[in-house]
Amino acid sequence: MPEPIIFAIPKGRILDEALPLLARVGIEPAADFFDKKSRALVFGTNQPHISLIRVRAFDVATFVAHGAAQLGIVGSDVVDEFDYSELYAPVDLGIGHCRLSLAGPEGSAPPGLGESHIRVATKYPATTRRWFAGQGIQAECIKLNGAMEIAPKLGLASHIVDLVSTGRTLVENALAEQKIISEVSARLIVNRAAFKLRSAEVPALVEQFRQAVGDAAA
Amino acid sequence: MTKAPALLPEGLRDRLPQQAEAASRVTRALVDAMRAHGYGRVAPPLAEFRETLGGDDERATRDLLRFTDPVSQRTLALRPDITRQVGRIATSLLAKAPRPLRLCYAGQVVKLRASQLRPAREMLQVGAELIGSDSVAAAREIVTVAIDALEAAGIGPVTIDFTLPDVVDLLANGPLPVEVDIQQLRDELDAKDAGALTRIGAAAYLPLLRATGPFDQAIADLRAFDTAGVLAARIDALEAIAAPIRDRVTLTLDPTERHGFAYQSWFGFQIFVPGQGDAVGRGGGYAIPVGEDQEESAVGFSLYPDPLIDAGLGAEDDAERRIFLPLGHDPALAASLRADDWQTVAALCDADDAKALGCGWRLGADGPVEA
Repeated sequence: MPEPIIFAIPKGRILDEALPLLARVGIEPAADFFDKKSRALVFGTNQPHISLIRVRAFDVATFVAHGAAQLGIVGSDVVDEFDYSELYAPVDLGIGHCRLSLAGPEGSAPPGLGESHIRVATKYPATTRRWFAGQGIQAECIKLNGAMEIAPKLGLASHIVDLVSTGRTLVENALAEQKIISEVSARLIVNRAAFKLRSAEVPALVEQFRQAVGDAAA
Repeated sequence: MTKAPALLPEGLRDRLPQQAEAASRVTRALVDAMRAHGYGRVAPPLAEFRETLGGDDERATRDLLRFTDPVSQRTLALRPDITRQVGRIATSLLAKAPRPLRLCYAGQVVKLRASQLRPAREMLQVGAELIGSDSVAAAREIVTVAIDALEAAGIGPVTIDFTLPDVVDLLANGPLPVEVDIQQLRDELDAKDAGALTRIGAAAYLPLLRATGPFDQAIADLRAFDTAGVLAARIDALEAIAAPIRDRVTLTLDPTERHGFAYQSWFGFQIFVPGQGDAVGRGGGYAIPVGEDQEESAVGFSLYPDPLIDAGLGAEDDAERRIFLPLGHDPALAASLRADDWQTVAALCDADDAKALGCGWRLGADGPVEA
């Protein structure tokens, strides 16, 4: 049997779209993966040497960067935020589309060149700082893990940077999308050392994903 | 109240006897293998003026651990890399020495910041440099020396991953021009970010992401991709370098790899070992600046064996050769044991215990007996 491969999958938004892709490359999770009551964190698949772990999106990148998992699926928002040198993102899976955007109170003007400093609540401090630095604005980021949308209302920060798909949450909190920072889609990510050391299996698996995505697009 | 034990600065640590000895055994084996190929060992200083360590490269200068020298009142830095120092020696003290010049080195280096994968800021660097040529023959020699050294130190099984540092320049300035900054193209290729490549209008480069992996397949893919033939010389050279080592290591190719290859000219390689998340060494061709506007070509490689030593490389069971000498033993006999490669541990008082002091043996009336 080949050496085991650990595949990291994010909880939440991308998961439902990722499963059909996995099925197309011949990876089907064991039954307990779908059991909502299961507390297990590692799941077998129909391929005896491939296991799945289901973790938070940000942790998918960390597990793969450190080689604890060889492959993973994660949004490009997370890849950009960490900018891990040990991650490859060789396939755009074309799923999990949304955008990373700057939002502020409805009716307010977007931060302009006149300002040198801005306070932003976000889950993406590195990306946010980088983007604002590109505009010549020093961004002071307040790291939140969720519910960014209430930050402006409560005076925590004037703006937020967060994922937007339909924009409904923003509207419900009296916020407006002001600038798109990046278009986000899910990527197949691969650990750099695993890609080289296991050159017989890992690149082949990447190629299978590439074809599965091509087939889906066709 | 007891005092908390003193902490060392982040990323720095002590090595205890077993590990310190293992490190020196590994170093010895690596250096001896390089010397066997005619590489003379040099030992540059731990600190130098900032300019000679960082050169003109702003990023390299920023990553130096710096301080002011009270004597010269100039900025000194701890060396983050010995290769550059060897280059300085080759183009100053040994500028008149016949070429090709073969030098090797081993020593500690210090980084300002640790990397994401390796928390250590101080590490052992061992390497060899062949100065005066970066020809295919020179590249072939340096790769062979690297593999011999790894083998001598018991490191393996080894995967060598080749790269072509100037492949993007050759393509972008030739058959495949791009709108975006070439550095951005390099970065996206390095991250193998297929989505970003398409976004920046460099979809023509996507086949390069596929031309990676097992050497023969990747070379074939690269040849097929290179319809204009601008890479033909590079591909032939790689095949020539690979030929003598095919049966000794696993070979892979990743033509657009840039990790740690900022200075390489036309050819580079990384050394991977199973169980290590990061490369344990890298090498390739590069140019050493000489004076204002000249340079001298060279090839070389560096190994960073610390993680392997932590995993047990070079470790030996000391107790097997460690013998306890009770009070009143015969000093002449003890000296003859030491001459015979034993480590003797002499009792200072009656309470000393052989086992507790790590001895597998004790000196009895008729010679060594098991402790």
